Amino acid sequence: MKKKFVYLACAAAAALTLTACGGGNSKDAENDVVEIDVEALASDLLKTVTEDSLSQTSSDMLPSIYFYEEDTVEEAIAYTSSGTTSCEIAVVKSKDAANASKIEELFQTRVDNQAELYASYNAPEAERLENDAIIESAGAYTVLCVCDETDEAKDVLKKYGF
Amino acid sequence: MATKKRKRKKRRDSLVLNLLIIVVLVLVLFEGRLIVTLFTHRSAVTSSAVSEGADSSEKEEEISENDASLDASAGASAGGSSPVTALAGLPVTAGTPQANPSETDAPAQTEDTVSDPNSPAIVPEAATPVDDSYFSDAVFIGDSRMEGFRNASGITQGQFFTSVGMNLSTMASDPIISTVDGNITVPAAVSGGTYNKIYVMLGTNDLGEYDWEDFRTRFVSAMNRLLELQPNAILYVCSVIYVEEDKVAMQNYGSYVNNENVDTINSILLQICEEQGYYYIDFNEFLSNGYGALIEGASEDGIHIYGKYCEQMLNYLKTHYVTSSSDPEPETESETESETEQTA
Repeated sequence: MKKKFVYLACAAAAALTLTACGGGNSKDAENDVVEIDVEALASDLLKTVTEDSLSQTSSDMLPSIYFYEEDTVEEAIAYTSSGTTSCEIAVVKSKDAANASKIEELFQTRVDNQAELYASYNAPEAERLENDAIIESAGAYTVLCVCDETDEAKDVLKKYGF
Repeated sequence: MATKKRKRKKRRDSLVLNLLIIVVLVLVLFEGRLIVTLFTHRSAVTSSAVSEGADSSEKEEEISENDASLDASAGASAGGSSPVTALAGLPVTAGTPQANPSETDAPAQTEDTVSDPNSPAIVPEAATPVDDSYFSDAVFIGDSRMEGFRNASGITQGQFFTSVGMNLSTMASDPIISTVDGNITVPAAVSGGTYNKIYVMLGTNDLGEYDWEDFRTRFVSAMNRLLELQPNAILYVCSVIYVEEDKVAMQNYGSYVNNENVDTINSILLQICEEQGYYYIDFNEFLSNGYGALIEGASEDGIHIYGKYCEQMLNYLKTHYVTSSSDPEPETESETESETEQTA
């Protein structure tokens, strides 16, 4: 009886700990909807920018920077540079997951435009944009990450279910 | 026989139990790490995102060290003649006509030099600050420093047409303004809307490009073009912000990027404002260290200033403005008081 109790306790503990796994995201089992803490993700990605001090940009400015339509986006956060580097982190949660691919396109436009502008004077930054910019989506969430530690950023995204 | 079986069963049971305990311990340890990460991450959000300015000096030291080593390695790889890179985006020619002749000497501790601090073109401090709605019909045009202002000041309204490396030449005709359809020229971007205020921040990338008379002519021409497109707009010309020369020297920005040239270009900008009836915004009034240089530690690379100071720039703009006929008069404190009294 005592042994059974120990087994049960162990099994319960294992189940409890397992349910807590999964980093900053969770999945609604019934609808298979990804839920991500946008601020936490952006903050984790911010740690991959080591050579510049990015500032959080007013969310009111983001539609004009990333060209998205405000009414299609539920939540957005971005950390951008004061001009020293091309590094930036943007996380957008669309109202509809179907819009994520559109946001990806807009992020790509942003990267292409920036790369073109940087190309004429700061080749390493243009190269960074062309080769290392990360644009990924998971459900309704889309991320743009231009940073110093690209592999680390990819690991962060993996942790969040991208 | 039965005892042996029981013993074997007991051993198997304890083995399973031990295995389970190990699994649980591993999981608890793993999750414990996650919990720790969660807590440290939460504190990081507040410290890095909100009080970026506070830890900037620490990071700045690190970066300065990195820059120094990068600089050294760049110099070595280029055979000792490290290439001169652009200031805020400008391609640089080998010759630096506006180089400060005394740049190799210790930085001169001079007093602030404003050609005429009483110039009527300088926008004075207003009694009552405006809020962000004042910028709702404003367009901000400028280089990476203006872009940094947009990114880090917290401003919530206004249209920004900025580009890293913008100078008078590229502003006039190059496709440097990012849009959803690709990059377009500044005049094309400005003509796409109606604006009652134009803020221009240019000159940093022109510090070594032209002779000053040429700069003057080009600048007036560029501003006139903007006013042709927006004839009812108030035109604010922002001063070129001082630099931290020590940091600039480590960044290969070019020896012409110095505060002596900043003073020269600002004198010209102020004169242009006086002659043409533009308004001059003197950011160096509070960004100067008092000796004709940018406040020490205000920037990452000597040029692009930290968010904390961008916020101060926004506050400065809110207290240094000119009202147009389209602006509602900001309420003064006494008016508010009397209204309160009436309501009471």
